[in-house]
Amino acid sequence: MTNTELKREHPKFSHPQSIVPGVSAGNILESNEPHGVPMKDMWSHQKDHMQLVSPLNRRKFEVLVVGTGLSAGSAAAALGELGYKVKVFTYHDSPRRAHSIAAQGGVNASRAKKVDNDSAYRHTKDTVKGGDYRCRESDCWRLANESVRVIDHMNAIGAPFAREYGGTLATRSFGGVQVSRTYYTRGQTGQQLQLSTTSALYRQIGLGNVELFAHNDLQDIIVYNDNGKKRAGGIVTRNLITGELKAFTGHAVVLGTGGYGNVYHMSTLAKNSNASAMMRAYDSGAYLASPAFVQFHPTGLPVNSDWQSKTILMSESLRNDGRIWSPKKEGDDRDPNTIPEEERDYFLERRYPAFGNLVPRDVASRAISQQINAGLGVGPLHNSVYLDFRDAIERLGKDKIRERYSNLIEMYEEAIGESAYETPMRIAPTCHFTMGGLWTDFNEMTSIDGLFAAGECSWTYHGANRLGANSLLSASVDGWFTLPFTIPNYLADHLNEEKLAEDSPEAQATLAQSQERIDRLMGVRGENPHGPSYYHRQLGDILYHGCGVSRNVEDLKEAITKIRELREDFWANVRIPGEANDMNQVLEYGLRVADYLDLGELMCVDALDRDESCGAHFREDHLTEDGEAERDDENWCFVSAWEPGANKNEFIRHAEPLYFDSIPLMTRNYK
Amino acid sequence: MKLTLEIWRQAGPTQEGHFETVQVDDASEQMSILELLDHVNEGYIERGEEPFAFASDCREGICGTCGLTVNGRPHGPGQNTPACQQRLFNFTDGQTIKLEPFRSAAYPVIKDMIVDRAALDHVMEQGGYVSMDAGTAPDADTLHVNHETSEYSLDHAACIGCGACVAACPNGAAHLFTGAKLVHLSLMPLGKEERGRRARNMVDDLEANFGHCSLYGECADVCPAGVPLTAVSAVTRERARAAFRGKDD
Amino acid sequence: MTLRNPDREAVAHGHITNEPIRQKPGVPSWVLKLIMAVTGLLFALFVVGHMAGNLKLYLPAEGGDEALDEYGAFLRSMGEPLFPHEGALWIIRAVLLVAIIAHIYGAFALTARSKASRGKFRRSNLMGGLDSFATKSMLVTGIVLLLFIIFHLLDLTLGVQPIAPGDFAEGAVKANMIATFSRWPVTIVYVIAMCFLFLHLTHGIRLAASDLGITGAKWRQTFLILAYVIPAVVCIGNIVMPLSVALGLVS
Repeated sequence: MTNTELKREHPKFSHPQSIVPGVSAGNILESNEPHGVPMKDMWSHQKDHMQLVSPLNRRKFEVLVVGTGLSAGSAAAALGELGYKVKVFTYHDSPRRAHSIAAQGGVNASRAKKVDNDSAYRHTKDTVKGGDYRCRESDCWRLANESVRVIDHMNAIGAPFAREYGGTLATRSFGGVQVSRTYYTRGQTGQQLQLSTTSALYRQIGLGNVELFAHNDLQDIIVYNDNGKKRAGGIVTRNLITGELKAFTGHAVVLGTGGYGNVYHMSTLAKNSNASAMMRAYDSGAYLASPAFVQFHPTGLPVNSDWQSKTILMSESLRNDGRIWSPKKEGDDRDPNTIPEEERDYFLERRYPAFGNLVPRDVASRAISQQINAGLGVGPLHNSVYLDFRDAIERLGKDKIRERYSNLIEMYEEAIGESAYETPMRIAPTCHFTMGGLWTDFNEMTSIDGLFAAGECSWTYHGANRLGANSLLSASVDGWFTLPFTIPNYLADHLNEEKLAEDSPEAQATLAQSQERIDRLMGVRGENPHGPSYYHRQLGDILYHGCGVSRNVEDLKEAITKIRELREDFWANVRIPGEANDMNQVLEYGLRVADYLDLGELMCVDALDRDESCGAHFREDHLTEDGEAERDDENWCFVSAWEPGANKNEFIRHAEPLYFDSIPLMTRNYK
Repeated sequence: MKLTLEIWRQAGPTQEGHFETVQVDDASEQMSILELLDHVNEGYIERGEEPFAFASDCREGICGTCGLTVNGRPHGPGQNTPACQQRLFNFTDGQTIKLEPFRSAAYPVIKDMIVDRAALDHVMEQGGYVSMDAGTAPDADTLHVNHETSEYSLDHAACIGCGACVAACPNGAAHLFTGAKLVHLSLMPLGKEERGRRARNMVDDLEANFGHCSLYGECADVCPAGVPLTAVSAVTRERARAAFRGKDD
Repeated sequence: MTLRNPDREAVAHGHITNEPIRQKPGVPSWVLKLIMAVTGLLFALFVVGHMAGNLKLYLPAEGGDEALDEYGAFLRSMGEPLFPHEGALWIIRAVLLVAIIAHIYGAFALTARSKASRGKFRRSNLMGGLDSFATKSMLVTGIVLLLFIIFHLLDLTLGVQPIAPGDFAEGAVKANMIATFSRWPVTIVYVIAMCFLFLHLTHGIRLAASDLGITGAKWRQTFLILAYVIPAVVCIGNIVMPLSVALGLVS
């Protein structure tokens, strides 16, 4: 290593001016990475110098974990194994239901057993480069280095990974990566990792180390002033069966509450996935990083009707044999089979001759979205493009195509009512994963002391675009192999301190605040009453258009205005039937939509503020000559971490400058 | 399509429930049962009335949250299909569809069509795991599992925990659920180590709430994960094996 | 709040109740299942042997003694001199008696448990078909078979009037059989009972194989076939005998 790497002499950082009214520059954030260590060694150095809590003292600490997915569930289990007193909360009926269960593809690990020349370095590089250099390199090194243990552990606790005939683990290559490092269990890897993690959690529950509160929905985070610093002392939950609010307190709080993609109304996320825990943390003073970084999956089933409950993902493997095209003429409603070859635009093959239909997700999503926005979309709502198997069927025969994709083609036929063997499938980009989330330091602690965030609800690892099969990995690394080190390190400073009392004024004030919020929502009596979904749907439309796959200044400005109007309308007119002190699913939904409205505004502010294109954040005013995303490393090589301003429509942008040691800044190119 | 729906209303666990009749004139064949309920509920909410409570989450058939009995059959008429994937083209225009919660004494109704399946979690807490702490696992490649065993294990690990097997069983048995876990873990290299202990603890807990298996086969017919019916026989076999061996493995 | 008398501890943890439906029973269900499987298979073996023995009805008489009567005498004398006269027979009878009591206890105990577990809403809309029907009717077929066994013992073992034919004579097995089946109503009772036996046995063998953990592809397939073949053979054999007497083919 060179001296410059060791000394980390970085240029002085200065905040760029924002073009968004109401945005002011805040602090420069400290990542709490160790100094004087190369990035690749930072995590092991950090662990070596952490404080420890002795086994006998661990029972004295109470940790509240919100969520039971891959990150929160594993953190709860691991902390329980270590001997801490853990309370874990989920709005589901069972810890197994968390949405990690729906991940299909696989989990990356740079175990580098094969001779395809994989390594932790290459994994880190793929992650950083894939994230378009808007993530912390040291985080990504941790991700790669701990990935080995994730596979071993998951295998040991019950995930039946695919095996070679020789009995060793099988891998496949995934998402535009040139090595084979993705471990999988058929198309249900997320399910098996989630269930294995849940089983570890069950074990701790059975042993009495972890106490599970199901049907308990987080309403707010209890934050109090501890010698001038904000510190998390607990949470307020709503018992979904009785509607009762209750304060729980502890020495530390972990949020593993998942991504916020449902802000778009239509996404591939589960119906109950939401942004409320994250937004409550944001409102309490935890900075929210890069909310505009959202990944869209190119091969979703398009929205066809207003009763459709969500978008469904079709495997990307379809792009191996299907050719993506749209008509060359605007508003061409002819039967696709009658559109002659010369009037079809195979736009991916035209624009990216080297990769063709197999370009990475964000590139494909963008190109599809550009066709749709240019009025070339097809289908009843003109919101999709064709994925055509005609040529593949001619070349390989219908049987071969059936053999490869029959389950997907069947799923399509059931959902849309058309046979993909006869007419081309219609696909559209759909919101899939959110890279943004609560800003955390290298120890995964947010800007509130004692409040940790893990998994998709935090911002770590993925920068402006996530690499395929890295999401299961990041959640597992956070929960199993990061928080069990960093939380004790934090707790060690608070040995023999009593936790905040549940009837303390701070806890009661937060409880009252939650009650007030519910009362306010239940009490709205407008002249034009509608249920929460009426507003959510409009918000989704605004965001898909304004802050979707590609963004521009005008649309973003318009979106901000529209969202503010919609929010006014919501708080003046929304109607929640039923009672607050009973199971009330509409109330639950209403509270989520209220948070989505604030989040949607912030996303647009972030997207408008970040005056460059990077990864999934594609700004039409920042393009290279040939229409590709153009990063501005001079001014924007930092992560924006947002805090609400003192007044309405004001926001403070804090910044953590990003530096790269071993993976030099370069431009992605898939031509 | 036009449908007549009879939907279960029940205010709470100890209240009596009843069916409420709803006419739908604008259902689409591509709607799932849950989307049909969404559609009905939307109307209720827009009118300011309380909608029907039902549980659902991923709507992709993997989370196991949804659970409705449709015309007397858990999840609906389609074989091995969760309610969220049961689409209306399985029904005829003008048909009456009866929607009620999963039925079992082990599943108390919370509200309308939402039931509490905690008894299943309780079985898992007794032994549905491998006792191994984070970080202590050996290299996964040194623990060989042959391809076939791994796939067979996954067939059982695929259980989504929806609990339809219990609701489908005239005896209210959870043998498919429990057997699936016993088979899955007994085939995993480290799960083998506590095979006997697991069977003892899980089966003894199972019997506190659930009935016995008469091999109706209804469970495997509705199971959205397609867990094979042979899983049910693991319950008695593994428990007897544990009793005769008297050991932990 | 719509909860009445809630289990507060359970509700706080997001559940309705922590109380299990039943406390730990004296004999666990899995033990009862094993007992029923083993005793059931024992009965299956018994009815096969019983039928095979009775087929001697069709063998010609040798040296003046009817083949069937000789077989009856053999049953009494078998095991001698290790056992006293009728000793082995009584051992078998005792085993069968204990087995049937255990089998019946198991059936009622398990049915009570499953009723409690299922709750007040019965399952409707079952798959249907022969297997499903046989499964559903196990308790009914079992009770009918129990009544039939009592009837059969009174008729041809104990010779109690008025169930047994008027001229019942101990040891004259063939004559007794011909006498009893010459009465049409009795023949019909036997034929119907055999149909019940088929249903009970076909499901019983399938279920016993499952409870004994026979899940390997080949063995399971074998038992699925046996579950039809054994009951069919037994029942056809047992139906042919009374019918052939009633139709006057045997005299």
